[in-house]
Amino acid sequence: FAAVLMFPMSLLGILYCPRGMSLDPVQVKELNVSPSPNGDSRASWEEEEVEEEEEDRLGIATKTKPVSVTDLSSPKPENAVTVAVSSRVLFRTELEQRVFEQKGVEEYLRYQIEHENEPFAPGPAFPFVKALETVNARLRELYPQSEELFDIVLVTYNHAHVGIRLINTINHHNLFIERFCMTGGSSPIGYLKAWQTNLYLSADADKVREALAEGIAAATMFMTEKLTEVSESQLRVAFDGDAVLFSDESERIFKAHGLDKFFQHEQDNEDTLLDHGPLKGFLEALGKLQKKFYAKGQRLDCPIRTYLVTARSAASSGIRALKTLRAWGLEIDEALFLAGAPKGPMLEKIRPHIYFDDQMFHVEGAAEMGTVAAHVPYGVAQKHNQPQKPGARK
Amino acid sequence: MEMVSTVQNTDVKQKDADRALVVAVTTRAVFDAAAGDVYGMGVAFPLLQKVNERLLEKNPAESLLFDVVLIATDSQQQSSRIISSTSHYGLEVGRFCFSSREDLVETLVVNNVQLFLSTDRDEALQVSQKGVLSALLGRQEAPSESLRVMLCGDAIVRPDCDPVPASRGAAQSFSARLGEMRGRFGVSGSPLSIVLVTSSGGSKSCGVALQTLRSRGLSVDEAYCLAGAPRGPILSLLRPHFLLGDGVIDLED
Repeated sequence: FAAVLMFPMSLLGILYCPRGMSLDPVQVKELNVSPSPNGDSRASWEEEEVEEEEEDRLGIATKTKPVSVTDLSSPKPENAVTVAVSSRVLFRTELEQRVFEQKGVEEYLRYQIEHENEPFAPGPAFPFVKALETVNARLRELYPQSEELFDIVLVTYNHAHVGIRLINTINHHNLFIERFCMTGGSSPIGYLKAWQTNLYLSADADKVREALAEGIAAATMFMTEKLTEVSESQLRVAFDGDAVLFSDESERIFKAHGLDKFFQHEQDNEDTLLDHGPLKGFLEALGKLQKKFYAKGQRLDCPIRTYLVTARSAASSGIRALKTLRAWGLEIDEALFLAGAPKGPMLEKIRPHIYFDDQMFHVEGAAEMGTVAAHVPYGVAQKHNQPQKPGARK
Repeated sequence: MEMVSTVQNTDVKQKDADRALVVAVTTRAVFDAAAGDVYGMGVAFPLLQKVNERLLEKNPAESLLFDVVLIATDSQQQSSRIISSTSHYGLEVGRFCFSSREDLVETLVVNNVQLFLSTDRDEALQVSQKGVLSALLGRQEAPSESLRVMLCGDAIVRPDCDPVPASRGAAQSFSARLGEMRGRFGVSGSPLSIVLVTSSGGSKSCGVALQTLRSRGLSVDEAYCLAGAPRGPILSLLRPHFLLGDGVIDLED
């Protein structure tokens, strides 16, 4: 069996030389986090106030949010890294979905209003969103005036009747989501552009495909029962290579002509850059934020870590991938060349908050081992791979 | 000296004065100036009409209908042309008021107008400052399935601003009546869509706006919370036919 090679990027020497010191890939400094009264772990740099459930004069349940030193206003869309999430991936809404499917929209809305004061449980995108907020807290500490932050926008085609329940839920979980679009049934895609969205996460594969067609990085998320614990102090994002960071050109060769031809093609074209894929821009956005930490001497302590998890092999086809990343000026913290081995076990070790792959086979494999994986429905693999289980439906 | 003349449109069944929602529209907003005897027509009017049609479909005895008053303040426009154009297009105008700019507000008050629609910003502002709810009509090119009314949530969550806008009371009662009208239709396929936009507050204040409107009997279809983001890109997607808030808000932001 081909050995799984893990390459912390700093050790690659000739192929890729990042500036800075070498890193032990396993060692991630865990920051001291003390739990706050309501059980959520909050980092020590955030002012801890006792959070009480209070109802304002109109009966909306809110919790007083801990207020940090700087005024927490939302950044301008052009300055921020905007992540748009739908309500069905941020929260768990399976029960309500069933009501909608079985009894129709009027009954569904009536049900939502009736249960307005019951917050939804966290969904598959929840840990990822929480991790984004952790990064924001660190960025605000270092750059109090900067608007280069993550901005999370709730974009849902839910009806505004569900609005109060969603807002109550946001407050309950202490999420900093100040912007949203509830389109009442019309397509949210236009709004993604209006928000200058850098990444869109939804349960609806059609909407995700539409977004990709508009040049917006997007992926479909699914609820899984098994979820491994992820870091609360470091955002970890893992990417597949072909048809995610890179175009699907090489995958096409592989699918059409087989493995040997694929290897030959990669070797022949080793010095030709791969074309970019739908998630390249998001990796770029992450890299820009990482550099802000490096600039303040926090490379070891950086609360963002990125991973490439690819079926390519290090010695051969992987070279082209690395050269391409380097030519793009994109740093990736760890590149894992699996040479065709299953991705699940490796992802289970990394524990990313999200893993992007274009093949449902890998998405499901990751989910089976507790990794939150998101499907990027892009490229030639879509014709060959159908989901084994039905995805969440509207 | 009275310079206003009011003409009832005998082609159209008159509405119940107590129950109807009186909307005044300027002739300039409805008819585009064009060569020839008959003017062109704006987009919002047919949609107002469609709401009435659908209401009557559901209940032929419905009294909560839009009662449209067509107001001409421009002496250049001939009253006969206005009346004949109205007839030509089969517009459901209850009354015509031939007034002057100076007498506009009085005309509106006398006619119990609950909403004044105009394409002239200064005119709308002048009216609003006298306590009559007014809104600018958007320049709608694309046809729409429903009449899209946008409410500015910032006005709703700012009960204590000083000075209180003159048209605040009118806005509140109008939104309650509009909510009642909206409630006649189901969630989908309604000829009337209500859209809430909050520009500056965060999600909590949008929640307060939703609750406040609901307590007045108005359930909103769509909600957008901008938290300081520029309104222009969102507004151009939302394409409201008119926007209600404190004072007069420009649709082209």
